[in-house]
Amino acid sequence: MSVKYIPVQWVPTKYVYDAVLLVCVAVYILVFLRLGTPAADFTRPVDGAILRMRAFGTCAFLMLTLILCIGPLAQLDRRFLPLLYNRRHFGVLTALVALTHAVYVLNWYYAFSPTPPLEALFYSNTSFGQFLGFPFEAFGIFALVVLGILAATSHDFWLAFLSAPVWKRLHLLIYPAYLAVVAHILLGYLQDTKNPTFALIAGAGALGVAGLHLAAWARRPEKQASQEDWVEVPHWREIADGRARIVSLGGDERAAVFRGGQKLSAVSNACAHQNGPLGEGRIIDGCITCPWHGFQYRPGDGCSPPPFTEKIPTYRLKLDGERLFIDRNGYPPGTAVEPLAIPEGALR
Amino acid sequence: MTERPDSFFIGWAPPPRRLRGFLIAVVLGLLALFALTSYLTAATQDDPGDGAFRFDWGRETVVGVLQAEPYPVLHVLESERFGQGQALMLSGFGKRGVQDRGDPLDGKVVEASGVALKRGALDMLQVRGGAEGLGPLEGREAPLPPVVSLGRWRITGEICDGKCYAGAMRPGQGLAHKACANLCLIGGVPPVFVATDDIEGQRFFLLADAEGGAVTEAILDQTATLVEIEGEVTRRGALFVFNIDPQTIRLAQ
Amino acid sequence: MPMDILDIAGIYGLLGACVAVVFLLWGIDRVDPNARGAWTFRPLLVPGVVLIWPLVLWRWWRISRGETLGKRHRPPRLAQDYLALALALAIPVLLVAALLARQNGPYERPAVMLEGPAAEQDKSAQ
Repeated sequence: MSVKYIPVQWVPTKYVYDAVLLVCVAVYILVFLRLGTPAADFTRPVDGAILRMRAFGTCAFLMLTLILCIGPLAQLDRRFLPLLYNRRHFGVLTALVALTHAVYVLNWYYAFSPTPPLEALFYSNTSFGQFLGFPFEAFGIFALVVLGILAATSHDFWLAFLSAPVWKRLHLLIYPAYLAVVAHILLGYLQDTKNPTFALIAGAGALGVAGLHLAAWARRPEKQASQEDWVEVPHWREIADGRARIVSLGGDERAAVFRGGQKLSAVSNACAHQNGPLGEGRIIDGCITCPWHGFQYRPGDGCSPPPFTEKIPTYRLKLDGERLFIDRNGYPPGTAVEPLAIPEGALR
Repeated sequence: MTERPDSFFIGWAPPPRRLRGFLIAVVLGLLALFALTSYLTAATQDDPGDGAFRFDWGRETVVGVLQAEPYPVLHVLESERFGQGQALMLSGFGKRGVQDRGDPLDGKVVEASGVALKRGALDMLQVRGGAEGLGPLEGREAPLPPVVSLGRWRITGEICDGKCYAGAMRPGQGLAHKACANLCLIGGVPPVFVATDDIEGQRFFLLADAEGGAVTEAILDQTATLVEIEGEVTRRGALFVFNIDPQTIRLAQ
Repeated sequence: MPMDILDIAGIYGLLGACVAVVFLLWGIDRVDPNARGAWTFRPLLVPGVVLIWPLVLWRWWRISRGETLGKRHRPPRLAQDYLALALALAIPVLLVAALLARQNGPYERPAVMLEGPAAEQDKSAQ
C-alpha cells in the first residue's frame, strides 16, 4: 500500500465513534459536578480542585475498564466488533482524561509548598513498606506514563515503523497499566471514602474486566491433534464459501484456511499491515480481505494484487481420507501454493 | 454453517445495516452507564466537615504568649475574636510552618496577625509574612500557663496536618490526602491527632514526642490512617498535647 | 534519590527531543516511503519519539541495515493470552486484600487511660 500519512484518517464511522465518546465524557463530568455533587451531604463544599480530580480520575477508570472489556466482548460476541476497530481513539481520549486528573492532583495536593510539585510527588510519601498508606500515586504515575506512550504511538506510522509485532508488544503494556490503575484506586480513593458505594462500583468494574478475560481465555482455539508437522483442521467441511477457519499451529502461530468455491488455501492468520485477523475476513473479488483495514491477498500465493506489494506466508494442505491437515511449517511470504481441490461429494 | 454470510465488514467502513439497532442500544447503554456511575460516585462522597479559612472574619490581630515547642502555639491574651486563654496553633502561607520565626520568641508576648482557620474546637492562625505577621510586643511580659499531666493514655485516631484538617483543604484528611498531609508536616505545619473519643471534652491533640519536642519525622509513615497510639496527655492552658511514643503506633483494626 | 529520578527523566526527555528533531526532519524519509512529502502528521509523532526514542533508534538502525521481514506475521499472541489471564487472576486477589485492609470507620473507639496523672500536678516546661 502506498498512502501518504495524514494526522488522522477520518471516516464517517470514526466521527460518530468519537462524538459518542466525547458526549459520554462530557456527560460524566457534568453529571458529577452539577448533579451528583449537589446531591451529596456536605457540611461545607468539597474543594473544586478535589471534585475535579475525583471526576476526571473516576471517569478515566471507567473508560479504561470499558476499553479492556471490548477485546474479550468482541471475541465472545462478534456484534461488538465495531467498538473494537476504533479503540485507538478511545485510548487517546482516556489518556487525556487521566492526564487532566493528574494535573489537578499535582496543582493541588502537591502545590503551595516550598518543595517543587514534581519533587514532592516522589518524596512526600515514602511508606513503600506498608499496604495501607502505600504511596498509591506511584501506580498512577506508572499507568499514566504507559497510557501516554500508547497514545503517543497510536498513529499508523508507528505500526509500520516498529512493525506490528513490536508495536503489539509495546501495547500489551496496557495489561500491567490497568492492574496499576486498579491498585491505584484500591489503595487510594477506595480506602479514603467511608461510604461503600464507590468501593462497589470500582470492584464491579475491575471484576467485570477479570471475568470477561477469563471467559475469553476459556474460548480460545484449542491446540489440534497433529501428525508430526501436520496439524488437523477440525470441522473443515463447515467452512462457508469465501470464509475461513482459524487453526492454531502451536506457539504464536495461527493460520487461516480459506475456501474459495471448491478449493482450499491456507495463509497466515496475521495481516501484514497490523496483524489483523485474516481468518475473520472473507474472499472478495477473488482476494482474501482483512476485516480491519481491507488489505487484500491472493489465496494462491499470499501476495497483494498489483500495484500493492504486501506479502504473507502460505501453507500446504493435504487431505487424508476425511481429515484435512495443514503443514505447520509455513512457506516464506508470497510463496505460491497450489490450492487443494475439494473432492466431489466431500461437502454435503 | 456457523457464520452468517453478511456479518462481515471492514473496520473503517460503516457497520452493516443489521447491526444498527444493536449499536444504537450499545450507545444508549454507554450513556446511561456513564451518567449513572458518575451520579452514584459523586452523590456518595463523604462529608469533608466544616473546617474552613475564615476570610469572612477578615484579618485577625492577636496578642498572646508564644510557646515554640513542640510547634508554635499562641496562648491568647487579647483578641477581638478569640477568648483569653484560648490556644491558637500557628502556620505560615501554604504548606509552611513558622518554627524558625517562633523559636526566638519562645515564652515572649507577641502580636500575631493573619487569617484564621477553624474546625470545631480546632483553631489555627495563618500568620502574615515578616514582623507584622509575628513579632514581639516590647515592654510586655506574661507567663506561659503551667503544664498539667492528664495521665498516660492509649487513644485511637488519625494523625493529620493541623492546617488542612482545620479547613485549608476540604477534605483535609484521609488516605487520598496522605501525600499532601506529609508535605504540610515536612513544611513545618503542626501535626494534630484527631481522636475518636474525647479526654476532658477535647478531641484534637497537638502531637509531640515523649520529651515534648517536635515529632514530625517519626510519624510520616502513620499519617492519614486510623491508628492507636500510647503516650502521655498534657494540658497547658487550653492546649492539649499528646506526647507519644512513636514505637507504640499501630494500625487500628 | 527523588531528585535522581527527575534528573534522569529530564536527561532522557532532552535526548528524546534531540532524536525527535533529527528523526522527524531527516530520518523518517529514509525509513518509510509513505512519510516522504507528508509533513502535517509529523508533529503528532514528537511525543512518541521523546517517550520511546531508544526503540526508535533501534528500529531506525535495523531498517537502515535492510532488516528481513522474519517475524512480521507472528503477533505475540501467547504473551497476550497469558498477560490477560494474569490480569484476570490478579484483580480479585488485589480486591480482596484491599477490602480486608479497608478501615470502615467512623469508629468511636474509647480512649483508655493506662496510668493516672503523676502526683505532682505542675511540671512546668523544661
